[in-house]
Amino acid sequence: MTSNVAGSNNRFDTSVNQMAIAGVVLALCVYVLMFVINTTMVQEMFGYSRQISARVPTFFMRMGVLLVAIAAGFFMITGHSYYKRNKLAVAPWLFLAIGLAFFMVYVIIPIFQSISFSFTKWNGLYDINGDWTGEWVGLHNYRILWDDPNFWTSLKNNLIWLVLFMLAVPIGLFIALFLNQTVMGIRIYKSLFFFPFVISQVVVGLIFAWAYNPEFGLLSEIWGWFFCDFKENIMGNLSRVCSVDPPSILGDANTATYGIIAAGLWPQIAYCMILYLTGLNNVSPDQIEAAQLDGAKGWKMLRHVVLPQLKPATFIAIVVTVIGALRSFDMIATMTQGGPYGSTNVLAYYMYDQAVGEGVGRYGYGSAIATVLFFIMLVYISYFLYRMYQDEKEGG
Amino acid sequence: MSLRFTKLALGAALGSLFSGALLASDLVVTFDDLNPDKKAAFEAAIDAFKAANPDINVVANNGDREAHKNTIRNALQNDAPDVITWYPGNRMGPFVDAGLFLDISDLWASDENLSSKFNAIKPTMSRDGKQWGVPYSYYQWGVYYRKDIYDKLSLSEPKNWEELLGNCDTLKEAGVTPFTIGTQYLWTAAGVFDYLNLRTNGYEVHNDLTAGKIKYTDDRIRATFAKWEEMLDRCSFVSTHATMDWQAAISPFAKGDAAMYVMGNFSVGQYKDAGLTDDQIDFFQFPEITAGVPRAEEAPADAFFIPAKAKNVENAKKFLAFIATPQIQGDWNKAIGQLPPNSDAEINADDKFIVEGMATLSTAAGLAQFYDRDAPAAMAKAGMEGFQKFMLDPSTLDEVLEGLDKVQAEVY
Repeated sequence: MTSNVAGSNNRFDTSVNQMAIAGVVLALCVYVLMFVINTTMVQEMFGYSRQISARVPTFFMRMGVLLVAIAAGFFMITGHSYYKRNKLAVAPWLFLAIGLAFFMVYVIIPIFQSISFSFTKWNGLYDINGDWTGEWVGLHNYRILWDDPNFWTSLKNNLIWLVLFMLAVPIGLFIALFLNQTVMGIRIYKSLFFFPFVISQVVVGLIFAWAYNPEFGLLSEIWGWFFCDFKENIMGNLSRVCSVDPPSILGDANTATYGIIAAGLWPQIAYCMILYLTGLNNVSPDQIEAAQLDGAKGWKMLRHVVLPQLKPATFIAIVVTVIGALRSFDMIATMTQGGPYGSTNVLAYYMYDQAVGEGVGRYGYGSAIATVLFFIMLVYISYFLYRMYQDEKEGG
Repeated sequence: MSLRFTKLALGAALGSLFSGALLASDLVVTFDDLNPDKKAAFEAAIDAFKAANPDINVVANNGDREAHKNTIRNALQNDAPDVITWYPGNRMGPFVDAGLFLDISDLWASDENLSSKFNAIKPTMSRDGKQWGVPYSYYQWGVYYRKDIYDKLSLSEPKNWEELLGNCDTLKEAGVTPFTIGTQYLWTAAGVFDYLNLRTNGYEVHNDLTAGKIKYTDDRIRATFAKWEEMLDRCSFVSTHATMDWQAAISPFAKGDAAMYVMGNFSVGQYKDAGLTDDQIDFFQFPEITAGVPRAEEAPADAFFIPAKAKNVENAKKFLAFIATPQIQGDWNKAIGQLPPNSDAEINADDKFIVEGMATLSTAAGLAQFYDRDAPAAMAKAGMEGFQKFMLDPSTLDEVLEGLDKVQAEVY
């Protein structure tokens, strides 16, 4: 007990006494955990989970006990002689342990759960005994999916989103180049351009939905200057009569998706702009000067001198824009709820709509959509990770 | 010392827990409407119940209606209240089938009100020959119209399809769009479809269709859509309906740009908020299409159910019996401007829409709940999207009907 403590400057060192206490606490926690979790936790981990929110108190209790157990385990391990001998190898895993545990419970396990749901027909309910009410249907959901025009519409819209959303990158670059100058009050202009990114997506969606509204929107107001007159109607009220009806952007299946993308681009352009503005700060003045001496200017200067130096900013801008395009859910939910008649659905929204929206409750089908979306994302994510890995190797 | 403190605290907590449980029995009621008048009517009924049963410790929860549609799943499976609101018809189907609602057929058989004064609505509350809930309110659907516009053009309430089309012609000549509607949230289109179907084919076909026994490509359903196409053609709806919700669609109606609205009676308050008076608006039943088809009506009901996991079943049944009494049914529905399912309950005789609604429903040959409550939710969603698509472009009819057949084959 004495030599150990006195001779060391390692704050994780513990005495035998402390170790014994930690051991008892750990055992107690394990015991309580077993008592609390019994079947439900096991169900959640390996079987079909009930929604967790209704049991929030037990959930917090469980997590509290878990944390205490982890802390006790931590003290036990750090007090152990094996740890002292292999400190460098073990310590990183200790720090990672909590994060990994949460990542398993909230990301990895649910992925496999939803893939397994996609082979079932289930309305999301457990019966009074807590038994799962669904049935195994094999690949049935995927066959239905193949024949479902709404699924193909959603997939097509996902692609349209990905392609058109990329416009945010060049437009953002253009605005950044434009704003990258020193005149009076340029900071005010920069922050004004950045402003849309600060507003919540929901608010952006609402503003655009109102602007598009064919009855009272900004667009129809402008339309009215050219095509509409005010006439007295039968009740003597002034009402608008148009020779050509104003476009109903969100009410027309052919234009609605583009209308939502335009709304989504507004904040996304601001985001790319700010990325490029910070990138431009790091462009080396020496190289610009040298290029000027060599006679480069305009497009050539941009293409061969500035853009290569902006490569990191471009990479990040593309990554966040792809993610933004896949996150289009909020915009769709506030602007059209997938309508008119499902024509603005993307896979993420269609999945939500079929599984939990308005009590539709096709959980198996929703999971099949989620699984397809997951594998599409996997391609992108793999590429992204591969790029990161390559960069690391080069950098290292 | 800290240990002693913990012991004390634990003892106190346990003590309070048990004493609370021993002194009075509990009743937890979950309601789902935060609109001021609905909320007040619910609270008034709770207060009346408390006064009548001082020994019961009542806990009343109230939440948002749309959120309730999702939270009820958790509530029924985990921490169930003793009484909860939900919709009858097929909407209660999944919960009944999973055994999450308590069978209250015994209450329906023994209670003096439920056994004799709820006959019109009893089929709606039944599934598998048993009763599962007690309705506290329902309301009529029909055509609300601008009486002043009708008078100005010397039109009268249409009694049949031809008269309705004739009225539409006159209205259009006068520059008035005959019907307003807002289909952004889809269900309003289902109201029009239901009425066309009920009037063309009758109550049985409505039930068979929503129960999945008739295909959408069936000739009878095609006949309904043919009438709808006629209506789109000769009557026409406001052109921007796909971007409006039902409240926004009141604006052309209030301004006098549109003259009629196929709606539920809950909308009357909104017309008045938009500046219209009782003299300017009136109500007629959706006119006859096929002569001789018995007149069935849409009358969606709201009801209370007992979850199978309820802890205080006796108190819950006491509460449902209390809700079924003429006094409570009358007071509640007077407060919210709707109709009491109990036929003995008093109605507000000063409200012409309520009086007319009572007359409409009490003489109806059958009461439909509504397309999206009679059909399973997954079918209803696809069906209503199909209706909207058809309204925007009638040439897509075949595509729509065949698509709905596919969903139907999958859902049932």
